[in-house]
Amino acid sequence: MKKMMALLLASMMLLAACSSGNSGKTDGNGGTTGGDKGNEATKVTVWAWDANFNVKAMNLAKEAYAKDHSDVNVEIVENAQNDIVQRLNTGLSSGTTKGLPNIVLIEDYRAQSFMQAYPDAFYPITKNFKASDFAEYKLGPTSVNGENYGLPFDSGVAGVYVRTDYLEQAGYKVEDLQDITWNDYIEIGKKVKETTGKDWISLDPNDMGIIRMMIQSAGSWYLTADGKSADLAGNVALKEAFEVYKNMMDANIVKIHSDWSQYVANYNNGSVASVPTGNWFTASITAAEDQKGKWAIVPFPKLAGNAKSVHASNLGGSSWYVLNVDGKEKAAEFLGATFGSNVDLYQKLITDVGAIGTYKPAAEGEAYKAPNEFFGGQNIVSDFSKWTAEIPNVNYGMHTYAVEDIIVVEMQNYLNGKSIDQVLTDAQKQADAQIK
Amino acid sequence: MSKLFDRFKYNGLFIKMFIIMVVSIIAVSVTTTWTTINVSERVFTETFSITNTKVINQINNNLDTFNYSIALATNKLAQSGTAREFMTEADGSSLANFRSFYAMGDVMKRINSGLDAYGIDITVAGINGRIFASSGQSPLAMTHDELMQHPLTLRSLESPRRILYQHINSKHGVPLLVATRPLSDRTTDKVYGMIFFTMTEKEFAGFYNTYTSEGNEVAVISGNGTIVSSGRKEWIGTDGRELLAYVKSMEEAGKPYMNVAIQNREHIVLSRYLSSLDYYIVNLIDKKTAIGQLTDMPSIIISVGVIVGVALIIVFLISRRLTRSLTRLVKQISTISKYEFHHKVSVGGSYETRELGLAFNGMLEELQDYVAKLVQTEKQRRNAELEALQGQINPHFLYNTLASVKFMVQHGDRERAAETINALISLLQNMIGNVSETITLSQELVNMKNYVLINHVRYGERIKMNYFIAPDCLGCHLPKLIIQPFIENAFFHGFNAKAEGHIYFMASKEADALICEVVDNGDGFDMKTDQGAENLKSSGKRQLFTGIGVRNVHERVQLLYGESYGVEINSHPGEGTRVKIRLPIIKE
Repeated sequence: MKKMMALLLASMMLLAACSSGNSGKTDGNGGTTGGDKGNEATKVTVWAWDANFNVKAMNLAKEAYAKDHSDVNVEIVENAQNDIVQRLNTGLSSGTTKGLPNIVLIEDYRAQSFMQAYPDAFYPITKNFKASDFAEYKLGPTSVNGENYGLPFDSGVAGVYVRTDYLEQAGYKVEDLQDITWNDYIEIGKKVKETTGKDWISLDPNDMGIIRMMIQSAGSWYLTADGKSADLAGNVALKEAFEVYKNMMDANIVKIHSDWSQYVANYNNGSVASVPTGNWFTASITAAEDQKGKWAIVPFPKLAGNAKSVHASNLGGSSWYVLNVDGKEKAAEFLGATFGSNVDLYQKLITDVGAIGTYKPAAEGEAYKAPNEFFGGQNIVSDFSKWTAEIPNVNYGMHTYAVEDIIVVEMQNYLNGKSIDQVLTDAQKQADAQIK
Repeated sequence: MSKLFDRFKYNGLFIKMFIIMVVSIIAVSVTTTWTTINVSERVFTETFSITNTKVINQINNNLDTFNYSIALATNKLAQSGTAREFMTEADGSSLANFRSFYAMGDVMKRINSGLDAYGIDITVAGINGRIFASSGQSPLAMTHDELMQHPLTLRSLESPRRILYQHINSKHGVPLLVATRPLSDRTTDKVYGMIFFTMTEKEFAGFYNTYTSEGNEVAVISGNGTIVSSGRKEWIGTDGRELLAYVKSMEEAGKPYMNVAIQNREHIVLSRYLSSLDYYIVNLIDKKTAIGQLTDMPSIIISVGVIVGVALIIVFLISRRLTRSLTRLVKQISTISKYEFHHKVSVGGSYETRELGLAFNGMLEELQDYVAKLVQTEKQRRNAELEALQGQINPHFLYNTLASVKFMVQHGDRERAAETINALISLLQNMIGNVSETITLSQELVNMKNYVLINHVRYGERIKMNYFIAPDCLGCHLPKLIIQPFIENAFFHGFNAKAEGHIYFMASKEADALICEVVDNGDGFDMKTDQGAENLKSSGKRQLFTGIGVRNVHERVQLLYGESYGVEINSHPGEGTRVKIRLPIIKE
């Protein structure tokens, strides 16, 4: 009888212990959550595209940050740009931030459309970095109503890569190209084609990047200053850019491509002599090692008929944005401490990635002043950063790519003989109809 | 240790029963669980194979639709004059080229619209050195010359009328699937271009991704045995010939599914051949993972454990209850047989044990009755014996007494002779009556005096006899001839060494007993040596008055009145002997 009681008691105590054990556990968790935040690493997720450029750059930032901040674990996820755009759109429009990262890379051309469409989805990081330290033109696309949402990353500063050997054959020197207009550029191209038989420039009929660069150099854009409506008809810069484009075609100095690989190949195999494009093209140019010393980079040409036009423009470029989700403070701190202020990091970006940032104090660093042997000892980074500071600030607005599609079609019409005013008026009509 | 053994001995039944129950409960629960898991596993496998066959069919349909889109796009491109011109014409002026590229762009846009959903890039390469990529940046990332000399193209040219599905890794190491088809002139069969439909493996995986889960993987194997696409990234591009062999043997045998060990893990394999792509879609279900989800082992173990535990507790309590009364009974019986014959067992517990206890008690009672009767009979027999002995008068005594009387008469001492004869008569009279009767102490006193008188007559008066009797004792009854043997003994043995002395008879009440003492101041004897005791016992050759001796008195008193009564003898050499007789106080 005694034994039985003991057994019963034991089993009851066991059950009691089980239940009390559970409750004890939950209590324990509740108690330590506060402490955990301090000790456990906070995870900061980053989405970016292009493993060799953006992701690589972010990895450098992660390394630099990890030295002093073991409590933050930065996870970088590579996704195609289209995927990122799509997932951001689906995620933000559904209102759930679940599955979205803390930090996301957004192309400057698209930034405004995201920030305007999802006003509360992004976390203002004005306090986390000093905006005045960055290139002026980057601040427009990355801010809304004076609040900075994006931390400027790479500079899309444009220049013209030219084959010095072809130039010389045509009787030109690099010095002759330092302060030219697009008309001069075409003239030189004609001469080069004449003497060497090589085309002067390679263009894709479906990509109006060159038009965008031209109009930005004059402080103009497809859209009005508020970024909301199209500014095509009566846009003098755009009109001149169209004319330059047609002149290039008429001068028969243009090679046509439709595929990026073919585009790069056109330069690497020496069949085209110059490239007006963003500085990120450097890596593609230097890939042809046999052409070492045969290239130079000259300032972007001006629009002859536009007084506002300068020798600086931009193509592409993107910035880092903090999404308004849990961990945003840590993410903002991380960006502020790395891309927002770390001069050494910018030197590494130059040497390891070839990315030129838009952080002005970084220009004092050594990597910025180092000559590049491929370009005949030219201080290309220093040149690019100098031009970066001169890029006119324009508002890319919300509809850059929508207008671009219209421009592509209208350019075709223009080349086929339609009058320029008519072309722009038609384009304006279509754009107004589409983006209203 | 012995305690433990005892416990085991008494609880043997319980322990055996309990062990058997424990073993059977565990055996039953384990067998049931195992069987249930087995059956559910089989059912699961069947169900899985049915649903997954449907899934594979669905994937198959998707891929067929995809293949159809590709074929349609190819035909459109093959029939497009613009495309053909783009691929064959020589480079013209910039403007002419621009128009040609733009026109081609329009064609491609139209064609691509059918393939938009697949995230596919269409690249065409013409014999004139032109390339057009629908996405602007083909994942192939190859220049015209690289493309045209690539094995993709060369293989495709071997069967120019077919769409060939091939797989390569891009320059950045991204696995790609490429559908290729040469474009050739219908009449001359001269190839004028190539089409490449390129999609990343990741996008291709979209065809089946939604149907897979952990442990339920899909692998797409090309006809030559390479794993082209899979949810398991590490499998992509690896040799799948072993798997393909399984799949083929399965197809030949006409089985819907097959169990195969892959990488040392049991898998259920389902497959479907896509002739249009020359791909095998293989569905691999990792049994452990899939069924592991089905049977949550820890929770099964816990619930079975709890059930077994509860069952054991119940069994323990019930069997304990059943055997406890029995055990108690057994324990009692065993102690009773050893120590406590007069106790009864307590009756309780279940019906069986109650009956057993009752039967045992009944038996014990009868046994006790019988034994009591036996003792009684024995007593009676002994009593009768003693009585008989008491009734006998030793003829020597009579002879000697009568001889003494004769001498007295011859000497003319008639007075004394008459007195002696009177004493003898009185003595005999008393004897001849009912032996078992009791007489009062005063009557016994008369007898004693008569006996002493006769002895004085026979042996002279050197031993004096004195009587001290409490007056309240005179009325007390006592058996006949109880005191006489001790007086006789004192006369004949007490004074062998000493020439004379005294014998005292004393009677008094002590609590509820009558104490009679016969004390002499004669020789005495050493209680430790046997000599005196010998004297007490061997009265055979003495001239005893009756057949009863000193020794028998004690026995008789005890037979009559019980063990608290009897005779006690004390003696010291040279000091005399003291005999104490304890009797109950009986008053008629």
